[in-house]
Amino acid sequence: MRVPSLQIALGEKIALIGESGCGKSTLLDMLSMTLRPSKIGSFRFRPERGADPVNVAELWRKKRLNKLGDLRRLRIGYVMQTGGLLPYLTVRENIGLSRRLLDMPDDDLVETLAADLGIRRQLDKLPHLLSVGERQRVAIGRALAHRPSIVIADEPTASLDPITAERIMSLFIELVDELNITVIIASHAWRHINRLGLRHLSHRTRKKRNGSMTETVVTG
Amino acid sequence: MILKRVKNVVWLASRDYRNEWQMSGFYLLALAAVLGPMMILFGLKFGIIGSLLGNLIEDPRNREIHPVGSGRYDSAWIEQLRKRSEIDFIIPRTRSIAATMQLKSDISSRIVTVEMISTDHGDPLLQGFTIPKGLRQLVLSASAAGKLNVARGDRISGSLSRRFNGKSERVHLELTLVDVAPAGSFPRDGAFVSLALLETAEDFRDGRAVPSLGWTGDIDDKPRSYPGFRLYTRSIYDVAPISKALEKIGIEVRTRAADIEIVSDMDRNLTAVFWVIAVIGLVGFSFSLGASLWANVDRKRKELSVLRLVGFRTGDIVWFPVIQSFYTAALGWVMASLIFLGVAHLINRMFTDQLERGDNVCQLLPEHFLIAFGLTIASAFLAAGMAGYRAARIEPSEGLREI
Repeated sequence: MRVPSLQIALGEKIALIGESGCGKSTLLDMLSMTLRPSKIGSFRFRPERGADPVNVAELWRKKRLNKLGDLRRLRIGYVMQTGGLLPYLTVRENIGLSRRLLDMPDDDLVETLAADLGIRRQLDKLPHLLSVGERQRVAIGRALAHRPSIVIADEPTASLDPITAERIMSLFIELVDELNITVIIASHAWRHINRLGLRHLSHRTRKKRNGSMTETVVTG
Repeated sequence: MILKRVKNVVWLASRDYRNEWQMSGFYLLALAAVLGPMMILFGLKFGIIGSLLGNLIEDPRNREIHPVGSGRYDSAWIEQLRKRSEIDFIIPRTRSIAATMQLKSDISSRIVTVEMISTDHGDPLLQGFTIPKGLRQLVLSASAAGKLNVARGDRISGSLSRRFNGKSERVHLELTLVDVAPAGSFPRDGAFVSLALLETAEDFRDGRAVPSLGWTGDIDDKPRSYPGFRLYTRSIYDVAPISKALEKIGIEVRTRAADIEIVSDMDRNLTAVFWVIAVIGLVGFSFSLGASLWANVDRKRKELSVLRLVGFRTGDIVWFPVIQSFYTAALGWVMASLIFLGVAHLINRMFTDQLERGDNVCQLLPEHFLIAFGLTIASAFLAAGMAGYRAARIEPSEGLREI
């Protein structure tokens, strides 16, 4: 995978669409600062408007993994393919987890998000009592509760039926819009993504000259 | 900040532990099943050997060094021996043939012949009893007091007889019973008296005059020598060196060293056996807990990677299995202690009849419970450390998708 140049503006909504195995996940891992690129030219991350950009490339080179962890915790929210909820915490605690870890005071955001996501009545239940769709809503809530700068979602609706998937995806985009959070979504269900007004990242896969490897090039 | 993060890990680990209470319950039952019997085994060893040793240590007869045959010891030599720190009590005795007295009380019609035993302050056989002083007091052994039907404070008349210048002579001595010694101190008919009374009796028997009591006889100024002595060391461990020292200067002695040797050998061997079992048990437990924690890391890989993803540091994740194993160790220890207390109570009740009062067949001291706790925690942490190391190597990106 090669990323010659990629710029994402604050508050932008990005869709990464492609067949599975084309390298979407690899790109997301790199963007979410969990996977170290084998070669880095430049990688900068501006946490909020007007802030100095953080040199992520430098942090990787110096192996400041805990620093990267802190950055992730504070600035990035994740929605996983299948919830990734902690089974021993209630829905309320799951949504509030990132806030708790950041030592943020309790405000109504957890309640508000739950209400917006339609899971207010499930707040004090454990995740295993919820349907798959509800769990995915909880996962979205958790990704947003600490008001990160970016939310990264890898196939957030892959495990849902098409109708639920569409409903949850629109809800997700609405919330992100409302909170003015940058979002990067990887998905192969591009049909309804189109309707949500997301910017597509162009990527193409080609055979390397010697023919032994394929290479995905992403630009945007 | 670090405290805050640790607090969060503790919170999450505790919630996880509680949520999986069935699983957690099995682990701590498994621990209690190893630790409980081990504590009972050690309690039995400690209780049985402890009371055997206790008896040995408490019974002064085990500290006695008894010279065989008769020798010639003067007071200066005895005095010198008394200064040795290993010696608790030493007093000379007179010839045994001259150390008998016939006793008669007003109540009983029997005349009882008793052996007189020299005594003084600090006599281990009369610990906690009144020490007879002067020529008019005595302490009787339980058997003699029973035959004479006397109790403390009663008057007893004693008499000594001799053949002097061809005729039989008998003198009488009014005595006061100041105490009765238990059968454990002297099983036969005996009377503990001051050395002065014994010397007086010997003088009379040998035909010497005793002016203080008005008994006539020969006047003799030869310095007195004693044929033997009563010697008690401070502890049972001093018996061997003192008897060696005495044998070196030609005094043959008799001790109970062999009994002491048997018990301390048994103690050593049982302790070794116990430790072998304890080490096997704890290592086994440590491995099984380690294996289950290790498997837990696999089972919870996704959850742990989610934690990494939301920003937990490598070092924080290590605490996860450590905290959970701490719970298992602490709760398992409590359960094992309860099992021990219950079983120990039952065992001790079964053996009540065979035991002296206050002795327990199965018992542990508070420090033994603490040692058991320490060992359990140590082996649990050892197990958790391996799992924690594994947990720390989970990549945060693993949480993003199914593997």
